[in-house]
Amino acid sequence: MADIGALEHLLKPVQALTPDVSIDEVARRFLLDEHRAFLSLPVVDAVQRPCGLISRYRLQDIFMRRFGRELWGTQPVSKVMNPAPLVLQLGTPFETAAAQVTTRLQYPVTEDFILVDGAGRYRGLGTVPHLLKAMEARLLQRNQALQHTLEDLKQSQAQLVQSEKMASLGQMVAGIAHELNTPLGYVGNNVDLLRELSAPLFALNEALAHLSAYLGDPATDEEALAHALEAADAARRAVDAGTLAEDFRQLLEDTDYGLRQISELVGGLKDFSRLDRAPSDDVDLNDCVRAALLIARNNLKGRVEVRQQLQALPPLRCAPSQINQVLLNLLNNAAQAMDGSGIILIKSWADEAQVHLSVEDNGKGMTPEVLERIFDPFFTTKPVGEGTGLGLSISYRIVRDHGGTIRVASRPGRGTRFLITLPLRRAADAAEAGAAPAAPLQREIEHA
Amino acid sequence: MPDTQRPVRLMFVDDESRILRSLALQFRKDYEVLTESDPHLALHRLEQEPIDILVSDQRMPAMNGAELLARARALQPQGIRILLTGYSDVDAAIQALNDGEIFRYLTKPWNPREMDDTIARAAELSLRQRAARAAPAGAAAGADIPHGIAILLLDGDPLVEARVLELCAVDGHHLHRARQVDEAIAILNREHVDIVISDLRLGEHATAPLLKSLAQVRPHALTIVTTPYQDTQALLALINQAQIFRYVLKPVSVKLFERALHAAVTQSRHWRARPQAVVARAAEAPRDEGERAAVNGLVGMLGRLRGRFGAPV
Repeated sequence: MADIGALEHLLKPVQALTPDVSIDEVARRFLLDEHRAFLSLPVVDAVQRPCGLISRYRLQDIFMRRFGRELWGTQPVSKVMNPAPLVLQLGTPFETAAAQVTTRLQYPVTEDFILVDGAGRYRGLGTVPHLLKAMEARLLQRNQALQHTLEDLKQSQAQLVQSEKMASLGQMVAGIAHELNTPLGYVGNNVDLLRELSAPLFALNEALAHLSAYLGDPATDEEALAHALEAADAARRAVDAGTLAEDFRQLLEDTDYGLRQISELVGGLKDFSRLDRAPSDDVDLNDCVRAALLIARNNLKGRVEVRQQLQALPPLRCAPSQINQVLLNLLNNAAQAMDGSGIILIKSWADEAQVHLSVEDNGKGMTPEVLERIFDPFFTTKPVGEGTGLGLSISYRIVRDHGGTIRVASRPGRGTRFLITLPLRRAADAAEAGAAPAAPLQREIEHA
Repeated sequence: MPDTQRPVRLMFVDDESRILRSLALQFRKDYEVLTESDPHLALHRLEQEPIDILVSDQRMPAMNGAELLARARALQPQGIRILLTGYSDVDAAIQALNDGEIFRYLTKPWNPREMDDTIARAAELSLRQRAARAAPAGAAAGADIPHGIAILLLDGDPLVEARVLELCAVDGHHLHRARQVDEAIAILNREHVDIVISDLRLGEHATAPLLKSLAQVRPHALTIVTTPYQDTQALLALINQAQIFRYVLKPVSVKLFERALHAAVTQSRHWRARPQAVVARAAEAPRDEGERAAVNGLVGMLGRLRGRFGAPV
């Protein structure tokens, strides 16, 4: 910052008085045009060091007394000047100078301040209005800088939220893609097998067509007919009708099943992202749980057992895609909290005013130090580059934006439980929802 | 039925019964096919009867495929093991390779023709192994097998180098080192090499094409790959096309690396002692045309090895 020399801009080179100048002469000087802008005039000694300041205000005081001018007019200014005026070095940083001026400021403002060089020699005067103007300009500049910083921060926050969204979306898509591989595997193989198995049927059909043509033709000779009959018989023997029918039935049934599963997965993806739905909707939170489970299955399959205790819930007005994001985040966190296999228990229930959902795992749990920070943005226990540290902080914000609360209890080595409470009616009873009792949480975990 | 005349026996293990039905239907006409949806029951069968080829899914409740394959290897080391999975999971692939010594890493959905080819190749190796086991022991006597084997090091990592140097000093193995791929080719053309320890980068070049061509020309050479990369697709290609023996992530854990080295030395000695034994290794050609050309080029450059050690199928 250009603080050094900033005071130079305030410097007004005013000719200084000497201590022996008469008060009459001072009054004359004040009337000069070049001094109109000043409240005071400086007094310097023989070596140009400031030794005082005389203000218009002081002169006014003297001259307004009875015979003031007559009594004091010929006296030297040193008798009436302020012997200890505010003196600032030109090299003083602007902020320090401003602080000194404003602490000495008196009302009404009657004096200017003296500016000296590094050696303490008089250089000129500075006025308070000028200083205030300069301070205002600086504040404005700083405000603009802060505004820019704020905008930058807002933008990078939006980018981070977006990248977290993209990361979970990518994970979701990869998960579903992998899930699709199993049904695609056997459906593709079955179609190939059906093609192979049906080949003898076409051969049989052709042989029968030949035979039929011979039979219908009176000119057919015995030998050709016998030949065709033989060929048809061979083709029929190549087709083991019993086995073939059973194979066909099974292959088609499995293929149907696989196709249904594929469309279920794709449908789940659509349900989860709600790309073709209104941003806010009346939904059954249990459906959100099921959609998130379908998406998280890739992370859970084979090692995590999911137990669901979902009670019937009243419809909840919310942004389902956001709630799904929260649920997926909790499920993935729970899965990651388990080194080997484990259990995730999901419970939902409702009361008059709220819907509750708890996600509980028997994973490695968290220490109180970690627990305290889990909702902080950028806090992560994962190695650098593996997590944005935004998952739970975004979840927290989403739940809060829905007027709900998200609470957590955890014990190292035992597991973690998240409890989400969402109000059925927003705003009106948000305060009441916030005051819902949460006391039994810790104990429930202990008994888990 | 005598062991040599028994048809090749395949076992598929997958928790999705539709996968099992489909595969059984595909292979029942050429092989004896068993299926299990529970890995524990599969292990039980492996304890009871020889299974020539085991194909397992990775993600199953109760036990994952890599673990099943590792336990199957302990029960029947001569069997051929294949992982068939719909998930790309690098840890599972590394475990299946290092502990299960898998012959292939296949992905779902699979191409039926390629699956046919893979199983046919595995079956053929299995039958040849069986025939070799039944044949009377060859002339090679234990006495003239040199104790030390030859190692080619294509990795400048100080930790890896230190372990290898120590092993060579203690056990009297012969160590070759190369800093560039062409230097490595020159050594491979000049010397007999039992074990290749290689990073995936050597100097300016990737070593994967060299390792892939080596697998085609010299299936007896065991490759230990040391790399900081965890890329499932690259690993999959190394398993299928370079038939690598072990995959050790960098920074290497001394314990894991030494275990890999020890296993390779044991295997090499075993093969040296039984020249008639069939090596259950058969590399797949790279899919990418450019890479296939590069590998073929290297195979040509390594051509002289063919003459020296006899071309394996």
